[in-house]
Amino acid sequence: MAILYKNLRANITNLFPLIILYYLSISEIDTHFSNMFEILSFNLQIIIVYYWMLRNSSVLGNGHVFFAGIINDVVMGLPLGISSISYLTVSLVASYVRQVTVNISLFTDWFTFLLAIFFSSLVHVVLISNFSSLQISFIDVSYNAFFTFLFYPFIWIIFNFYKQIMVLKTDD
Amino acid sequence: MSSSRDDFSIAIRSALLKKGARQKFSLVFLFIVALIIFLLDVYQFKFVKLTRTLINDGIYRLSNISTAPIKLLPSINNKIKETIFAINENKELKVELETLKNKEFQVEFLKNQNDSLRRILDSDIKIKGKSTLAKVLLDKDSPYLKSIVINRGSKSGINKGMPVVDGNYLIGKIVEVNYLSSRVLLLNDLNSRIPITFGEESTQAILTGKSENKPVLEYLPELYTPRNDLTVFTSGKDGVFIPGIPIGKTELDGEILKVKLFSDPNQLSFVTVQLIKIREDNF
Repeated sequence: MAILYKNLRANITNLFPLIILYYLSISEIDTHFSNMFEILSFNLQIIIVYYWMLRNSSVLGNGHVFFAGIINDVVMGLPLGISSISYLTVSLVASYVRQVTVNISLFTDWFTFLLAIFFSSLVHVVLISNFSSLQISFIDVSYNAFFTFLFYPFIWIIFNFYKQIMVLKTDD
Repeated sequence: MSSSRDDFSIAIRSALLKKGARQKFSLVFLFIVALIIFLLDVYQFKFVKLTRTLINDGIYRLSNISTAPIKLLPSINNKIKETIFAINENKELKVELETLKNKEFQVEFLKNQNDSLRRILDSDIKIKGKSTLAKVLLDKDSPYLKSIVINRGSKSGINKGMPVVDGNYLIGKIVEVNYLSSRVLLLNDLNSRIPITFGEESTQAILTGKSENKPVLEYLPELYTPRNDLTVFTSGKDGVFIPGIPIGKTELDGEILKVKLFSDPNQLSFVTVQLIKIREDNF
């Protein structure tokens, strides 16, 4: 019974980041606070993908990241696959950083997150402007990237606390 | 230089291709799938359009359901704010209502007081002589003593034995004088003895208090036939009271002749003290 409870608790806590990722993609919750501050918007999904892919890729999984991106596209009305590619780019940078770094700290994470955002936004902008008829504001994308980068440490601290209550298997 | 380039390519290759124990798809595979979906969607192939319509319908409903709790938040927030506002408003209104009630009571009290004073001032029958109006401070009913305390004392020229009237009707006499207050012994007190006169024959008697609402007439003439509904006045025989102050009406209770007082001793709020000179030996 105790083992069952322990496993159940571990599964629920481990699933939480994934649930958040899906929920943010599927729900209409936006992280655009234009009513508070005109240019304030950030992409929480990218932070979640980057953090957990960097820390423990088994928490999210590339398949879920892909599907979350597809769902996000449907909800946001973007061409299907664009968010998936964007998230997978972040995931790729995170996987690369994980391969080449040994010590993990907030500052190394934050710095490498800049690269992830840069490539993710670049892919996003390039694909939309070249392959779709949608028009996007580069300034808005830049602000979004900037604030996402700016908010990363806060989310990093929260996830770090949360990670302590998770029962994680060692990443391979 | 070439070594670092090798490291980079190995790391990238590993990141792209390595699936890991719990990963079912490699990144490169998913990239390709996403890119294909993107291109199919962008170039709007018919079957992709249809598929997208189905996916959209499903996901929109899911999105609607999943967002419902969040959508409820503002309304819940509004409800909470409204409730808090209502509670606070209710508190304020209660206080306001209480204040208004108090004011209403005060107004009512002042109105009654005014009416009472008006009645005293506008009364047809005037008792001649100097008098002073006094407010009843205490009229706590005691089983032993029927008296009231008024807010006038020796400072206002009040002396022991002075008659006290309510309007024009006698209610008692001063028995205790302080500088700013006095005690009035009411007619129905056990210690009260007032010489009175009544009836066409000007029958003389003593009005004696019995600690009941209605005092009785004692020392009536022999062979007197008691009758109801005769007005009783002070006789002034004692030299204390002015003669002719109305007191009440006779009321036969068996063989006892009682007097129903014109002024209810339990309902006094303002009284008038007749400032007449009393001789100590008379009192």
